[in-house]
Amino acid sequence: MKKSINVILIIVMLSLFFGWARPVDTFGDDSHKGPEKTQKNKSVFHSSYYLKKAMTYKNKDELQLALFFLKIAAALSPSDMEIDGKITDLKMTIDRKSNNYLKKGEKFLNRNNIEEARNQFLTVLRYDPDNKDALEYLKNKLIPKEYINYTFKQNDSLKSISNKFYKDPELVSLIVYFNNLKSDAKPKPGKILKIPVLEKEFFQAINDRRQDLISANKLLKEKRFQKVVVITQKILKNDPSNKEAIKLKDEALYRIGIQLSRQGKYFEAIDTFKKTTPKYKDVDNLIQKAIQHELLKAETLLKEKKYEESMNLAKKILGHDKSNTAAKKLISTSFCQQGRDLLIQKKYDEALRVLDKADPAEFCVEKTRIAVKNSIKQQAEAHYIQGVKYFLNEELQLAIEEWEMTLKLNSKHDKAKKNIKNARSLLEKLKKIK
Amino acid sequence: MPETASIKKKFIINILPIFFLLLSACAINGSIFRNKHQAFVSDDFVIVKTTAQDTFSSLAAYYLKDPTKGWQIAEFNRMTTLIPGQELIIPLSPFNKAGLKAKGYQTVPILVYHNFSKKKSDKTAVSQNDFEAQMKYLKQNGYHVVSMDQFLNFIDYKVQLPEKSIVITFDDAWRSAFDVALPILIKYGFTATFFIYTDFIGGGKALTWKQIETLSKIGFDIQCQTKTHRNLAVPKKNESLKEYFKSIEMEINYPKKLIKSKLNIDCKYLAYPYGETNNLVIALLKKYGYQAAFTIDRKPNTFFVDKYKIYR
Repeated sequence: MKKSINVILIIVMLSLFFGWARPVDTFGDDSHKGPEKTQKNKSVFHSSYYLKKAMTYKNKDELQLALFFLKIAAALSPSDMEIDGKITDLKMTIDRKSNNYLKKGEKFLNRNNIEEARNQFLTVLRYDPDNKDALEYLKNKLIPKEYINYTFKQNDSLKSISNKFYKDPELVSLIVYFNNLKSDAKPKPGKILKIPVLEKEFFQAINDRRQDLISANKLLKEKRFQKVVVITQKILKNDPSNKEAIKLKDEALYRIGIQLSRQGKYFEAIDTFKKTTPKYKDVDNLIQKAIQHELLKAETLLKEKKYEESMNLAKKILGHDKSNTAAKKLISTSFCQQGRDLLIQKKYDEALRVLDKADPAEFCVEKTRIAVKNSIKQQAEAHYIQGVKYFLNEELQLAIEEWEMTLKLNSKHDKAKKNIKNARSLLEKLKKIK
Repeated sequence: MPETASIKKKFIINILPIFFLLLSACAINGSIFRNKHQAFVSDDFVIVKTTAQDTFSSLAAYYLKDPTKGWQIAEFNRMTTLIPGQELIIPLSPFNKAGLKAKGYQTVPILVYHNFSKKKSDKTAVSQNDFEAQMKYLKQNGYHVVSMDQFLNFIDYKVQLPEKSIVITFDDAWRSAFDVALPILIKYGFTATFFIYTDFIGGGKALTWKQIETLSKIGFDIQCQTKTHRNLAVPKKNESLKEYFKSIEMEINYPKKLIKSKLNIDCKYLAYPYGETNNLVIALLKKYGYQAAFTIDRKPNTFFVDKYKIYR
């Protein structure tokens, strides 16, 4: 037994020691427990001090603080009926003031003066922080809504509602989406639908688009195609994939293209047809027909030996149809024919310069070039023989001139060079004899 | 009888020491600081006479069960320092949730940052030194950086915030926010919200999912800023109304799902790319469960701000 008592004593001592030594916040820290409600120190604190504070705040119109300090004073002097009376009075004042400001706020709101209404409701909340009406105004009613609620009526349909709110039955999809409905749904009368409120600018753009489409359709029927193009381009600038606008624009351009073709303005017609959606109706065919017309013009010019004009027209065709082989051939033919003409006129250098501009891959170009070069060779030889003839007739000066002509055409004509040298030597000797 | 003696012996040897052990530990703790207060405690308030050991934080820890609410005691008593022996009122619930005063109301600014640079600041990036200076300014001038949830509770008229409250946000998910800003935030003990647009993640200059996960794990708030960062308020040049609507629905819904699947985080808030919105966007945000959304209009926020057009 004695042994047991000794063990207990040691344990108590040890536990006391470790109890003191243990850090405060690791075990049994009553800071987490919080205070217990107690009035044992009430005599230390004086209600008169808090009563005075309450009056100061009341005079500053800080009524909630005044009420708070009155409650403190009342708690410190629970038997003081005068403080209770002051609390009742102040509560009534708070009610009266907050009701007045709430009414003021509602009046401002009815006059659509949001800013002033908000100020009144804030004052209400300052007097009465739990005032649900003021809070509802501030947090919900004064904030613009992205929806309005609409009660579905007997004769309504979703499209008619869309038309009513958006002036566009097509925007029914928004109502369907935000109300989790099917597109063919027929809600029961009395069902409240959320109708998204579109901003004026956003809605205006959609509405304008619709009005423009109606105008464009009307103008197309009146054959005022240019105006249709202008309006549809405006629509497509903001809504480039608007199918109706694209269709109207294509049709207008198509008709303008046909008109231009009929007037013989083929290039303008081609440009117009090309502005339509690719493969629209038979535009590709019409473009080819217009090109054929222009090619015929170019060929006529070629026949008339108006080479420059023919080539320019062919180049213009290539500008519209890069792979047009007929136009390419026309240009080469023009160069060849121009070269041949110059060959006939014995303007060999000029002929060669023209041929240099042509596509060397074209057969006629090389053929003409060879013809020109052969002509040059033949011409050089003719001058050489003529020079020999003059030499034999002892007309040395004329012989030299012919051979010089030979060298002009063929600078590598060695015989001509040698003969010129001999002839000049003979002329020198004759001069000395004389 | 011998059995009773044996039980007594066992009690003395085993149970009694444990009893003394507990008793001694309980009796000594708590009395060190707390019982020195002269206090009057009611349901709504506590009146205390402060001691030399008291701080606003220690009083808040004891009476409000939250040491971070020292500001609530300081602000109610309109004091900045404590004097021993001073009589203080500790309100036990928020005393002015909206920060309303006779001549105005409380506002809370939200800072928005994007990209950062190690050296100089420019139009698109804040330098490390400038950011450090800005955070230092907040600390030295008594600003309380509050979390987005705390701010939203203030907006919802549920809690009171310190008078000088401020929120810090980061847009886009630039990696520089992680490399440059994060160490500074940690240094000053500030919290922040990162609004990320998910197509940017993993790109050359963007945060990786791993980094975002790290941010979340160390207590930073991760929220959405759409999928591609397109302007939600305006249809694109080549967009019909239907295409536009489908696109903004995807911008709002997709990142929420992705962030949930990658990080198991529910996006509650969205920052509008370029700060722009319209009614259709707001309607969609509500449909997809977003509780608030943020513009980049440079104004501080009152508690009655439109929750889907919060200023930054």
